[in-house]
Amino acid sequence: MNDINTVHTDVLIIGGGPAGLATAIHLANLLRENSQSRRIMVLDKGKSIGSHILSGALIKPDIFKQLFKDKDFNQIPFDSKVSKDRIVLLGKKGKIKLPFPIPYMRNKGNYSASLGELCRYMAAVAEEKGVEVYSGFSVNEVLYENSKIVGAKTIDTGVDREGNPMENYQEGTKVYADVVVFAEGVRGTLSQEIIKKYNLNNNKNEQMYSLGCKELWSVPTGNIQEGEVYHTMGYPLSMREFGGGFIYGLKDNKVALGLVVGLDYGDPTFDVHHAFQVWKTHAFVHRIIQGGKLLEYGAKTLPEAGLYAIPKLSVDHALIVGDSAGFLTIPALKGIHLAVHSAMLAAETIQQALLKNDFSDSLLSSYEKKVYQSKIYKEMYPVRNVRQAFANGLIMGGIQFAFQFISGGRGLRGRVYTPKDSQSTQKMENFKGKTFQQRFGKQLDFDKQLTFDKSTDVYYSGTQHDEYQVPHLHVKDKNSFNAINIKQYGAPCQHFCPAEVYEIYTHKNGEQELRIHFENCVHCKTCDIKSVNEAIAWRLPNGDNGPDHQYM
Amino acid sequence: MELTIINLLKQVPLPSEMRMGDDGLMDRTKAKSIINIDCQFALEAGLQLKKKYPKARLLVCSMGPTSFKKSLQKALSLGYDEAYLLSDRKLGGSDTFATGLALATLLQHLGFTKENPKPFIVLAGRQTSDGDTAHVPSQVAANLGIVQATFVEKIHFDDDNQLIAKRIIEGGYQQMQLPLPCVISLTPTGIPLRKPSLAATINARKKNIHILKVDDISLSTEYMGVRGSPTIVAKVKDMLSERPPIQMMQGKNAKEKVDNLITALSKQTQHNRLEKVEIQEKAKHSDFPIKDIRGEYKGILTWAEVVEGKISRSSIELLGVARQLALQLDKDTTITTLLIGNKVKHLSEDLIAYGSDEVVVVEDERLKEYQILPFTSVFRQWIQDNKPEIVLFAATTSGRELAPRIAVYTKSGITADCTALEIGSYVNRKEEVVIYPILHSHRPTYGESKLATILGFKFPQFSTARPGTFEIPTKDSKRQGEVVDFEPIWDKEDFCVRLLQTFRDDSSLQNLFDAEVIVAGGRGVVDDNLQLIKELVKLLQQKGIKAEWAATRVVVDGGMAEYARQIGQTGKTVRPKLYIAVGISGAIQHIAGMKEAEKIIAIDQNPKAPIFHYADFGIVGAYRDTIPELMEQIDKFISVF
Repeated sequence: MNDINTVHTDVLIIGGGPAGLATAIHLANLLRENSQSRRIMVLDKGKSIGSHILSGALIKPDIFKQLFKDKDFNQIPFDSKVSKDRIVLLGKKGKIKLPFPIPYMRNKGNYSASLGELCRYMAAVAEEKGVEVYSGFSVNEVLYENSKIVGAKTIDTGVDREGNPMENYQEGTKVYADVVVFAEGVRGTLSQEIIKKYNLNNNKNEQMYSLGCKELWSVPTGNIQEGEVYHTMGYPLSMREFGGGFIYGLKDNKVALGLVVGLDYGDPTFDVHHAFQVWKTHAFVHRIIQGGKLLEYGAKTLPEAGLYAIPKLSVDHALIVGDSAGFLTIPALKGIHLAVHSAMLAAETIQQALLKNDFSDSLLSSYEKKVYQSKIYKEMYPVRNVRQAFANGLIMGGIQFAFQFISGGRGLRGRVYTPKDSQSTQKMENFKGKTFQQRFGKQLDFDKQLTFDKSTDVYYSGTQHDEYQVPHLHVKDKNSFNAINIKQYGAPCQHFCPAEVYEIYTHKNGEQELRIHFENCVHCKTCDIKSVNEAIAWRLPNGDNGPDHQYM
Repeated sequence: MELTIINLLKQVPLPSEMRMGDDGLMDRTKAKSIINIDCQFALEAGLQLKKKYPKARLLVCSMGPTSFKKSLQKALSLGYDEAYLLSDRKLGGSDTFATGLALATLLQHLGFTKENPKPFIVLAGRQTSDGDTAHVPSQVAANLGIVQATFVEKIHFDDDNQLIAKRIIEGGYQQMQLPLPCVISLTPTGIPLRKPSLAATINARKKNIHILKVDDISLSTEYMGVRGSPTIVAKVKDMLSERPPIQMMQGKNAKEKVDNLITALSKQTQHNRLEKVEIQEKAKHSDFPIKDIRGEYKGILTWAEVVEGKISRSSIELLGVARQLALQLDKDTTITTLLIGNKVKHLSEDLIAYGSDEVVVVEDERLKEYQILPFTSVFRQWIQDNKPEIVLFAATTSGRELAPRIAVYTKSGITADCTALEIGSYVNRKEEVVIYPILHSHRPTYGESKLATILGFKFPQFSTARPGTFEIPTKDSKRQGEVVDFEPIWDKEDFCVRLLQTFRDDSSLQNLFDAEVIVAGGRGVVDDNLQLIKELVKLLQQKGIKAEWAATRVVVDGGMAEYARQIGQTGKTVRPKLYIAVGISGAIQHIAGMKEAEKIIAIDQNPKAPIFHYADFGIVGAYRDTIPELMEQIDKFISVF
């Protein structure tokens, strides 16, 4: 155990996003209040804290007042307070402002923010309280003893593409901890592993996801005021796609905009990135970014299935918090405050566990009880079936949503089940109607002024990956991939990936081959979610690889 | 062995951000800094040595503002044990001479002197990306009075605990055995940097970075900072881009891209060459009196580098620029050339024919190959006795280590890798004089984006001249000159380095210089052993085109091509009509060897590859699709370039 590559801590938090950092901060506060002194360690795979963080973001600030109770609220680096809040229904040409506000979508009193900026602040606060925060380290292995979690290990680096050690090989570090907090964000790789291993989603709904593509622009003065918030519905999405756009005016003439689309669509050629580009050409959006320039790009998935898809939240020695557990509400499309709230409840539980030196699930499971007695539950319960309702299309979804609103969340059936997103894609021959290409045709020729192809956008994400490492995107079975994903489905990965990672190359003899450019990957994990038969596995690449978001 | 490994590192701005224009994309106050790339390789070299000597003490030292702590912290997290930063406002504006002296003084302060009985080795990066001089390692070694090897790719200790270094030379490499202590500078072609481990990063946070001031190390104020530096940067201007912006070939597949390439090539007209640096007027108009500060220093000294029994081409180029300078100086200015080697006297005739007025010959059977210490001794002694005002070297791997080392002993400033040299003046407003004549050395810097003019006020003035930049002077076999023998006094340590092996593969493949088309392959084409590239060249040859294939250093090192095919700083500099770079990322060392090509086509998977900054036409795509397509359309292709 005295190995130089072994470290011991009391609490290990995997992921330096809002959930992980809030766990650390709140736990540090509680320990101090109880005169306890424990080692808390936060590990993040991004180059620096915030590098891998991407969100709209509109934030309900209340929970931060509790988290930062010893701080001046004005120090929290939100961007601007929402001053104008509109929902707009876009037609192909014109627009209709919705005459009535949609419940759960009101943003009065909320703040826009760069979540990355907020996380950098949280990390600084955490470090001030004695928490150790390390970025640039991928944790890619859970350590078990007697099939109980005892810690986790960082990735071995300095290996070739087959994984053989090279001269600059560096063994990963084993971190042993009494409690491991999984705060990896959406579709956390290790969170998925433990959910599966301990069967934590037994009798739960399948998680459903959306993919959001976002750009940050600098625009001429007057295009939009800071604090102005627009959400759009409709164009360019059809009735068969669930989603919408957002435009948030930020300070210094910046504007954050994006398009979020549910991954339960059927068209195997649907392309969220391209739809986002087409959306920007709509007069309503265009006028806001006209004359401006692109600053940053990124893409990320969101867990949308709501309350019934939240797994059991603890096992012996481990807890799951934030997006890894799926704390997000539709239709408000907000999860940050829930992530932070869940983290604080987890911290309270951990503090008790440390006090009693009991890390068994019988104690840690009180975290879950707290969640179900908290505002999180109160907020998620009434909308528990909303997203599932929309799985049947917007019209049926709208009717069901209206019904649920009246009924307090009860669907037409008690609990609405949906398939996995990977099961909703249709085979090319079965897909009826216009394909994505047919729908938008020439609009998909990007001018690199207003609209951008994927590789240009990827450039603006700052993404890089070490050349020598095992490619982190793994096709589980090449033969079946060729026979099913390529031949029958037309390789949807080349369309759904918002970073041009997947290329289908056709040889002169007509044979098709998948080429993976993992160096482009922006870490959204859509391929892990949406590939038919879940044929592609997203694994952790080396630390400090991936995007380098500045103000996303 | 109780070994100490000392790493000298510099923090530099991220090269990609240095190139970025004023597009507002990056907030320059937040411009990111990294450990200089070459220094990263040096760090790894140190860690590799520790594998063999696990008890070795690993130190890292730097000089610069306190923001450099970030890079030192990184070095600690890689496994270095102690970090020292020499940080003092008084050091601001130090040139390489002052930097070398300050770092050497820091090392002496830490106990690392020549007299220290415990073995130590100083590792450094070959050169920095923001200065590109490659001087400091030589200057540190000279100031410590210890031996050095620069441009080293790999080092290891053999079974007898002897340090073996593989030093890169033009067209090959040398294996040498060095005594300790010594200074080694590492090229960025060795073992790449490892990623820090979490465990070491955690330990590094507990470690203290020792910050020292100049007073702490008793550094003499005479040679400190901007005032103590023998050189000044007189002017920096943006370099005009030699080429019009690149045209990227669009297309859904390789065929469309190649079609577009052929169309674009057919429309392409001869591009405008960069105008040469204009020669200034003799003395700037000024009311101040002219002051000649040369004292007894007079005449120009050059070095004739002998490779495989012949005078290297770059040393002959030097005689041309030396003559131009002599013409701008006093009428009786002579050009003296030092010719050092084994049985080399007969080469004097050629040197005189190309412009030397006097050839000083040093012959010794131990000097068949260039070696840093004896060659430094010769220059030191000759300069001390004869006091030339200007000393010129070709900026070869040897010239770039020899010149700075000698300059330390004369306490002179030195300018590296110049592309233009002229005699000019300097208006000293403080003393109200115009200093004339003075050597103006122009050199590209900041990744070839700026042209800096450097002036030195200590004599002799040293410069190294970039090979391939100056024209070979006309040969006049009737010219008369003097040939003198010179017998230096050898120091007992002059021959302490053992040359184990010299490998050079420069005899053949002269046709690379004459080729119309060169197809060069880099790291991106190694999966098929450059097969497709060779096939394309063969096809071009069959069509009657003078075509040849070439490679980058990485490919050569990988054993897939002969050294003679290497293009770049340590390989050949070529100027074909068309240069096709395939799977080449575009490291600056490679660019140096091919940027003079008339047209450049770059083919690479990575749209962000720097090669696209230097090319006329770009195709982003897999070479295994693009090359066959190009071969299919070869007749059309040939007709348009």
